[in-house]
Amino acid sequence: MKPIGPIALQVTGLHVALSGTTVLHDVNASIARGRWVSILGPNGAGKSTLLAAMAGLLPVQGRIELEGEELHAMPAARRARQLAWMGQSEAVGDDLSAWDVTLLGRLPHQTWFSGLDAADKAHAEQALRSMQAWQWRERYVGTLSGGERQRVLLARALAVQAPVLLLDEPLASLDPPHQADWLDLMRTLVDAGATVVSVLHEISMALQSDDMLVMQQGRVIHQGACTDALSHRALESVFDDRIQVRTVDGQLVALPRSARR
Amino acid sequence: MKKWVVLLGLWLVCACVGAAVSITDDKGRKVSIAQAPKRIISLLPSLTETVCALGRCQDLVGVDRYSNFPQDVRKLPQLGGGMDPQIEAIFALKPDLVLAASSSPGTERLAALGLTVLQLEPKDQADAVRVIRTLAQALYVADPEPVIRQMDLEFAQAQALVPAGARGEKIYFEVGTGPYAAGAASFIGQTISQLGLVNIVGPELGPFPKINPELVVRLQPDVVVVADSSFSALAQRPGWGMVRALKDHKVCTFSQADGDLLVRAGPRMGQGALLLARCLQRLYLTGQTP
Amino acid sequence: MRDYVYQRPLVLGLLLCLATASLLLTSMLAGSNGLDDWHGLGTLFGLAPTEADSGMLAQIVWQIRMPRSLGAWLAGALLGLAGALSQAVFRNPLADPYLLGSASGASLGVCLALVGLDGSLIDIHWLARLGLTGAAFAGAMLAVVMTAALASGVAQTLRLLLAGVVVAVVLGAATSLLLQMYPHLLQSMQGFMLGSTAFVGWDSCALMLAALLPGLALAMVLGRWLDGLALGEQTAASLGLPVRPMRWVLIITLALATGAAVAHTGLIAFVGLAAPHITRRMVRWGSRHGVLLASLMGGLLLVAADLLARLLIAPRELPVGVFTALIGGAYLLWLMRRHQQSGGMS
Repeated sequence: MKPIGPIALQVTGLHVALSGTTVLHDVNASIARGRWVSILGPNGAGKSTLLAAMAGLLPVQGRIELEGEELHAMPAARRARQLAWMGQSEAVGDDLSAWDVTLLGRLPHQTWFSGLDAADKAHAEQALRSMQAWQWRERYVGTLSGGERQRVLLARALAVQAPVLLLDEPLASLDPPHQADWLDLMRTLVDAGATVVSVLHEISMALQSDDMLVMQQGRVIHQGACTDALSHRALESVFDDRIQVRTVDGQLVALPRSARR
Repeated sequence: MKKWVVLLGLWLVCACVGAAVSITDDKGRKVSIAQAPKRIISLLPSLTETVCALGRCQDLVGVDRYSNFPQDVRKLPQLGGGMDPQIEAIFALKPDLVLAASSSPGTERLAALGLTVLQLEPKDQADAVRVIRTLAQALYVADPEPVIRQMDLEFAQAQALVPAGARGEKIYFEVGTGPYAAGAASFIGQTISQLGLVNIVGPELGPFPKINPELVVRLQPDVVVVADSSFSALAQRPGWGMVRALKDHKVCTFSQADGDLLVRAGPRMGQGALLLARCLQRLYLTGQTP
Repeated sequence: MRDYVYQRPLVLGLLLCLATASLLLTSMLAGSNGLDDWHGLGTLFGLAPTEADSGMLAQIVWQIRMPRSLGAWLAGALLGLAGALSQAVFRNPLADPYLLGSASGASLGVCLALVGLDGSLIDIHWLARLGLTGAAFAGAMLAVVMTAALASGVAQTLRLLLAGVVVAVVLGAATSLLLQMYPHLLQSMQGFMLGSTAFVGWDSCALMLAALLPGLALAMVLGRWLDGLALGEQTAASLGLPVRPMRWVLIITLALATGAAVAHTGLIAFVGLAAPHITRRMVRWGSRHGVLLASLMGGLLLVAADLLARLLIAPRELPVGVFTALIGGAYLLWLMRRHQQSGGMS
């Protein structure tokens, strides 16, 4: 199924091996610009690895193109301005304040000798506000709860103001109101032209995105729109039919299918 | 018959006179030695040298790794150092006397194993003489005085060798990089004062103080004594270009072997004094650097 | 939220400079007579002292006292810099510059040099000049190379730390073995291992300055990137930082700084750990100014410790390392108590 519009990220024939084991086999994927794609699959399918590879963080065999340009050939600084990546629950030094952490997201835009200018601070502020974290910007990351810290890390990724956002488990530790806020935020960003690729554990949340990449054991077995019935079937099959995708009040949800029937 | 009675009487007298000798060592331990020890282990170089000076070298069965004089003792089994004696090896040699320094650990263990242990540590000249006499008693050496007289003779010779021009001169004796000086209160300091020189490091600073190098520059010694390994870097020390002794090239150096003579308070003390005296003689009579 | 002692790093910087300057002036008075040598200060202003050997006093002040204190400051600054860098590279506030085995390497180098100088009557000029200082520096550098080789590069922090421990232990054992064989070297080694500025002259100061300035410049230029490392290596890479070359550069810089300090003043404990720590508590940390402040703080700590070491029982001296260990130990103890009191959240 061909995606609509220009391609932001194109992955062709990707093989990734970590510590001698092949984690990704011959992966092909096209992420269109201005679309929100969720990568779904069971544990160990290679979702985080694919995301990290797309961010240019892993040695790969195959081809990854960002806006038509070979990713690994791009200078790191330019790539960092185009692609913002947030990893899964990374440890941050406890000695930094939320504000400091968010400001670090502006690193790709700074040169050797320049300090932080007003634009940098404005972007960082906007990022924190959109994550409802502005009021405790002076607090230390070590003193925040899991959910609060997650929002700060998300703000850091947002502060980069990159057209492509790659987020690994962005909803970890977030409670439902904040999860809903995050959904709204993603929708707003995508409508404004950003491209988002997220790895999400919460399948119902992932179903709110535009497209999905279904993975199993290091392979992409399906890529298609979330509203497409074929995508639903693919999703149900990788989870061994333990889930069922339904529409409730116009929204897609994934419900667990009990084995005891 | 009378002959037998006389002999018996003589034997009884000898037996009484030759009763066990009781020695109190430096740790206050009372040790009883029934007869002349034939298997001696020494764990302190100065004690090893004393045993040999008293003519009992052949009775040594083991020494520590630092005992190196006379040459013959190097062939003996080495039983660790004074600070880390090998208990098992010592016990296996079945000594009838173990000599160790007062500060040596493991002596309690050796005593508990039933060995006879004497702890003696001569720190200055008077001590050294006392230890020679004590050890002579323990070893059943009849007359230790020749050894002591030899030492006195050597000291006297050394004093005679010191040129008149050197008497009263100020001296700085460095024992290690630090700088650690030999103060007037140390054993070396005693030798120095016997030779008629004045130590710039007074007794109030202790035997081997780590001093501020500025002190040497300030007090301007006339003679400097250092280990030969430190000699080459001496002139490069900050501010030491002004030290009179260096400018006049009045520096004595001692090698590692000579160092043993100077720091061990044993029977070779006098030779240490002679060493120093000869150097002073060279410096003051001929003006040559040794 | 934490209240900082100084809102502006500049204030702390100026205070540190002021404190250092006053201690340096004091050191002109601090000599073998203790702290009553006002004539020493007089030489600064060209006042003619009443002592007969006034020329010598001036020489003592300028040739011995000033370079010692300045040398102490430079060594402390180098250690503070190295400490800040190691805390950034290892992402651990308890990291100190000796983690890569440089301390043990330097000790072994000095021990070998003492053995070599002693056993053979080497009078080769270069060895005499290379002397203990050169041997210590070479030993420190070689130890770091060994650590990097053992860890197969500097990419992985845990491997690097483990390799550092291994190298430190093995080289330390080698030194102990040598000292067993040559016990008369123990006293000289002690002087080195506990730290002392006894023989620091102007040339030592020049060498240390030559190591400090580029190190500081580099660290300040890389400042923002150092902060980026705190986010973790993958995130830092995603932000465009060249993480692996950076680690190499930082580790080489920190090894050189540590080696330069250790070569001239021996092993001084805690300054590398405490200086960046104390700075972090006093001002908000940003690596660009933080590294400079940690350096200044380290310099101040060591000048103060050195003065105490020289004055307390003058004309005898105590090892500088004793005072830095006391200060450092007291500081860590205080940290622990605060940590306990605030329920584990520092």
